[in-house]
Amino acid sequence: MRLAVRGIIDRAFTALTALSVVLMCFALVAVLGPMIWRGTGAVVFQGTVEFRKMQLSIFQRGDPSSLEKEINQAEHIRKVVYETIDKFKRGIDTEALTDEARKIHREFGKELRYKDVSIDEYTQLRSISRDLRNKLENAFVCRDIEQIRENIEYVLKYENDTRIKGTRAEDFFRLAKEFQKAAESTDLSRYYEYAGSLAEVEEIIVKLLRPKPGEPVPALVRLRYGATRWDHAQKLLDNLLWIEQWVEKEPGKPLVKVLSPRAEQFAGTIIEPLFDYVPENLTRMLKPRWTFYWQYFIDDNVNSHYFGGIGPEILGTLVITLLGMLVAVPLGIISAAYLVECASDNFAVRIIRMCINTLAGVPSIIFGLFGLAFFVLFLFPVLGFESKPCILAASLTLGVLTLPVMIRASEEAIRAVPQTYKEASLALGASRFKTFITVIFPAALPGILTGVILSLSRIAGETAPILFTGAVALGPIPKSIFDSTRTLSYGSYDMAVGDRLAMMVPHNQYGMVVTLVLLILGLNTVAIILRSRVFKKLKGR
Amino acid sequence: MTKQSNNQMLKSALDVKASKSVIEPTITVQRIKGAADESNTEKCQCAIIRADQFSMYYGSTVGVKDITMDIYPCSVTAIIGPSGCGKSTFLRSINRMNDLVPHARAEGKLEVDGQDIYDKRINLVNLRQQVGMVFQKPNPFPKSIFDNVAYGPRLQGVKNKSKLQHIVEQSLKASALWDEVQDDLKKSALALSGGQQQRLCIARALATKPRVLLMDEPCSALDPLATGKIEDLIEQLKSSYTIVIVTHNMQQAARVSESAAFFCLGELIEYDNTSKIFSNPSKKQTEDYVTGRFG
Repeated sequence: MRLAVRGIIDRAFTALTALSVVLMCFALVAVLGPMIWRGTGAVVFQGTVEFRKMQLSIFQRGDPSSLEKEINQAEHIRKVVYETIDKFKRGIDTEALTDEARKIHREFGKELRYKDVSIDEYTQLRSISRDLRNKLENAFVCRDIEQIRENIEYVLKYENDTRIKGTRAEDFFRLAKEFQKAAESTDLSRYYEYAGSLAEVEEIIVKLLRPKPGEPVPALVRLRYGATRWDHAQKLLDNLLWIEQWVEKEPGKPLVKVLSPRAEQFAGTIIEPLFDYVPENLTRMLKPRWTFYWQYFIDDNVNSHYFGGIGPEILGTLVITLLGMLVAVPLGIISAAYLVECASDNFAVRIIRMCINTLAGVPSIIFGLFGLAFFVLFLFPVLGFESKPCILAASLTLGVLTLPVMIRASEEAIRAVPQTYKEASLALGASRFKTFITVIFPAALPGILTGVILSLSRIAGETAPILFTGAVALGPIPKSIFDSTRTLSYGSYDMAVGDRLAMMVPHNQYGMVVTLVLLILGLNTVAIILRSRVFKKLKGR
Repeated sequence: MTKQSNNQMLKSALDVKASKSVIEPTITVQRIKGAADESNTEKCQCAIIRADQFSMYYGSTVGVKDITMDIYPCSVTAIIGPSGCGKSTFLRSINRMNDLVPHARAEGKLEVDGQDIYDKRINLVNLRQQVGMVFQKPNPFPKSIFDNVAYGPRLQGVKNKSKLQHIVEQSLKASALWDEVQDDLKKSALALSGGQQQRLCIARALATKPRVLLMDEPCSALDPLATGKIEDLIEQLKSSYTIVIVTHNMQQAARVSESAAFFCLGELIEYDNTSKIFSNPSKKQTEDYVTGRFG
């Protein structure tokens, strides 16, 4: 080959290798970057006053007195929103108004019975009350503003009746006046439109600013607090201000999403200024502050990861990983020692070796099924344990999963120890066992630690083997190795395919995934440092 | 080089050696200085290593065949011969290191200190502690100098720290390494130079207080300076230990040994005093080898 051509090929090869390294780095950044960016959002974010409220009442963290000051300040601003909505509702929520009218009538009747009135007067007042109630009901249900005015005027005529003054029936007039005001300011022909949209608006406000003062506290914890994260609040604000509509822009083509401001729907009503008030004052209503929620790694979760942290998941992953290593590493080293030192090169041993190498490539779900069938269903009853998935079964399954990798790495490491060490040791009178323990094993340690590192990563991240043998999505913190546990890997899977609730807290999904990646990275780093120290000591530096 | 000048060279080497030696042992029964752990007044004339029609096979290949020789205590015996003639095989048979080779089979009798070492009841551990070995390439363990030398005594069960310290010091002094390493015994053995490592291996072998020291081409991987130091060491050690040294280097054999055995193609051709082997060998093969006609 001519020299020039060879030079070109060399340079092309170098360029290709450099390009592949660049591509790999790029892929790594592209995959890890967003994950880490979003994942840190689970720990470092802008937390609102609702978040601090939640921390105080559920986890007993924070300063009650300063929090109370904050809450009062926020409530002051929020009151405007609540009141406006209530007022508007009363204007259009005819069912409630009708109920209230009926209530007033009933209570007036009760009141009359306790008062000292003659039968005639009682009957008269009752019929007036009934009349007023019916007129009000008519006013509430009709859509024509003229008719409403008529009915209201009729009701208000009785306002100065002395018999009614000071009684419950006075509320009739208050109701009438309020309704009149609301009716004047509302375009009642668009009642149904309002009703639907108002329900949405209310829902969003409730999600943003819960709880409404005066209402009973909901049983579900996550419904007791408003938006705890500022980014979540921003999303809700967007939903509040804009309506999504799917419109057919061109016939025959797929529908196009169009955003229209919600304020237009409520144009002319008292609600309309809200759509300016809320965005302007949201910071004062929620008081967002940069929070470093490091307890995320310790706290248990609340209401399916809506609040709280991933502490139990981390614990589960750590426990299962360490127990799995405890199973795989000693067995792996001893098996490798046997294969190198004691096994003769006959057919049986060759079959065993082939099996070990094949097992290294078996899909992990097969190991999961094996673990279920062998450990949970067969072995545990035989040993007298309860036949249910638990940490022990999961660890055993994962240990068996990485045993081939461990055996392979250990075997290579032990074979790589120079034969001269073995000879020197034997020549000094050591037995073969002593030789292995004191000379060969320490010399093979770096290679064995490589196997440990590989096994560690595999075990910590595996999901399929623990699906049936020990992992659950939700459950209590395990008290012994005979309980099931939650893990980061299974939790990530569960949240990804889970219900809408999980979709509302995407930061949690990212947080779990990033924690798993960082955990594995951390364990690997420790093992790598350990290995390099052993290696340096072996080389005499 | 002519045969004459070769012989002259060897003779001059032997002369130098002769002026240093006190006794010239021969193969026949003779009063010789006693071993290290016997008092000097007691004289032993029994061979410490006795081979009687000893053969070693690797599968069907012959290693050595029908070796008959006696090696006496407190002497240096050199085993010389061309490559592949069975020198290392015979040496390694003495402390049963050939057991490591698959399909190795021994026939005949090989006695160390009166005991047939290929007897089924022999205690291998004890044998290897009595018969130490130093290998061709220095192979200290990847541990500290102290741990290397203390390895043997620890195997023997010595746990007392001060006792170990004493043994280590003695062994390192015996192998002329103490002065160079006494400051830092915790240093890794792999940080020493080649010659120092080999002396460390000798110290390690001496730490178990063996009767016999087998050396398989100990200086072939070392430079001349280190080689000289090792040869001086052998000179010092021979008063207390029996040394059997396999060497490719005939001049070295002439320098250090009193008796020499010439092996060729697995058979013992001639075994006699070194001076006789090099100046006036009885077999033609021996003469051809020592004069450099083949090998």
